[in-house]
Amino acid sequence: MTKIVIWPGLAVVLIILAVLPFFLPNYRTAFLLITFMYVTLASSWNIIAGYTGYVSFGHAAFFGLGAYTAALLITRLGTHWLLASLVGGVVAALVAVPLGYILLRLRGPYFAISMLGLAAAFEVVANSWVSLTRGGAGLNLPPALNLVQVYFAMGIAMVVVIGLSYRIITSRYGLRLFAIRDDEQAAEVLGINTTLHKVSAFTISAFFPGVVGGFYAWNLAYIDPTSVFRPILSIGMVIMTMFGGIGTVAGPVIGGVLLTVVAEGLWARLPEFHRAAYGVLIVIVVLFMPGGIMTLVRTRGWVPRSWRV
Amino acid sequence: MDYQTLLQLAVGGLLLGAVYALAAAGLNLIFGVMRVVNFAHGDLMILGAYTAFWLYDRGGVNPLLSLTISIPLLFVVGWILQRFLVYRVVGQPPLMSLILLWGVSLVIINAGLFFWTSNVRSVPYFSGGIDLAGIQISRSRGIAFVTALVLSIGVWLFLQRSRWGKAIRATAQSAEMALVCGINVNRVRLLTFGLAAAMAGAAGNLLITILALSPGVGPSFLLKAFAIIVIGGLGSFSGAFIGALVVGLLESFSAFFINAQAADAVIYFALILFLLVRPGGILGQRE
Repeated sequence: MTKIVIWPGLAVVLIILAVLPFFLPNYRTAFLLITFMYVTLASSWNIIAGYTGYVSFGHAAFFGLGAYTAALLITRLGTHWLLASLVGGVVAALVAVPLGYILLRLRGPYFAISMLGLAAAFEVVANSWVSLTRGGAGLNLPPALNLVQVYFAMGIAMVVVIGLSYRIITSRYGLRLFAIRDDEQAAEVLGINTTLHKVSAFTISAFFPGVVGGFYAWNLAYIDPTSVFRPILSIGMVIMTMFGGIGTVAGPVIGGVLLTVVAEGLWARLPEFHRAAYGVLIVIVVLFMPGGIMTLVRTRGWVPRSWRV
Repeated sequence: MDYQTLLQLAVGGLLLGAVYALAAAGLNLIFGVMRVVNFAHGDLMILGAYTAFWLYDRGGVNPLLSLTISIPLLFVVGWILQRFLVYRVVGQPPLMSLILLWGVSLVIINAGLFFWTSNVRSVPYFSGGIDLAGIQISRSRGIAFVTALVLSIGVWLFLQRSRWGKAIRATAQSAEMALVCGINVNRVRLLTFGLAAAMAGAAGNLLITILALSPGVGPSFLLKAFAIIVIGGLGSFSGAFIGALVVGLLESFSAFFINAQAADAVIYFALILFLLVRPGGILGQRE
């Protein structure tokens, strides 16, 4: 029953998403593209925070790192934007390995705050290393003339990260991550190599923000330290995932889509109001629905418990 | 680089450190009593700072006088935060309270940006300098230093000598034992959050006489206060002063030798270093 409904349903959604940009006006396509970006970011954040239990307050660091890597490759070496963005993801992942090795020894609030500081430190570096990044003046890229190409790139990144999330949650690897989240010491005693698992989960969750950071840079054709390290990206990953349901596959997708749509409809033009509304939402989610929408849906029995979504 | 400049930087850093220490001791107090990291602590400092700015801007009020308003005001803000929000997550995993207070921080920051715009503000009430045995120090730093020190000693005496202070320390040692001994733990927590918020507010009120601040800089001060209590030792009141001296010195030297923005990054690296190498801080025990 499950597979009969789910797989064709997903295929239909994918086909609709694939044809949409040929019918929609550019403005709508660009909006969908940003939605894909946030879903990708939230889903990759979920892998380290939701599955492994290490909540990061500064994942924008990897987004910015990818954006700068890609922008520099494109402007200095003339690399194709797709390749440059992939390299951006690889660089973010490579940086995440030693960082994770060091920072993932810290637990709970210490890790969260150290990641917050990391994003701030990256921004300082991007601002101060003027010979490479042109500092606050930012980098101008050649204009991306084809919105649909970026749309597909972003969409594929989203599908890949969602698929990977599902693959992880249904694998032994995912079970080990859950064990680390629930009780790290017990996991260690059971013979799980916790360092290897934590660092690898952190690396995966850094790779995708790096890639979509590159796409973002290419799409906007201009980046500066404030725009790619801005806290709203890190905030968005946290609140979208928690609102949808942390530690689930569908949670970041639901939260990402809902919040991007609501934000666009209600308050996108008032940045202060946007962030304050996220703040209020964080408070509400933590106090009244810590499991997010997915838990509500599950307890009502709308989704069978056997579905690992 | 002459000896005179170095000394001047050191003294300037130490004076600033005392103001940070006042705020950090508040953060430490909340952590000690409730195991909650008050992520909105820097933003409470900003609220105190803008109270002083508002009074100065409207009525030319002396910032020392405005302490009599910012301290009770922030006490009430802290009380309300604890009464309606934080009490629900005390005892839950520390991440819950951290995320909750992050939400509160976002609300305060963006309300601040909305009402006061992102302009940097200062209260240039105390101008000029004092000549201290050949070292020039600015009068505002000197006054802020002395006031912060007096307030900190006051809080310390309150914690050591008064009955409520004793109740706070008892709750920090073990909330359950305190409850068994007939201490109203809920009220102690309310008092603690109020007191800590008042300390943050007072620190902010003094800080805006030295530095120009915008509503968005709260998290940067949270990071500093957090670094201070980690370096000094979590839960140790006097440790906050040692940590604050270290952070004050790091800030004034890195601002002078690199640039003003780099100070945050340098303090951040010191924080990470301490968390990894000596998580108990200078005074605390090893975990």
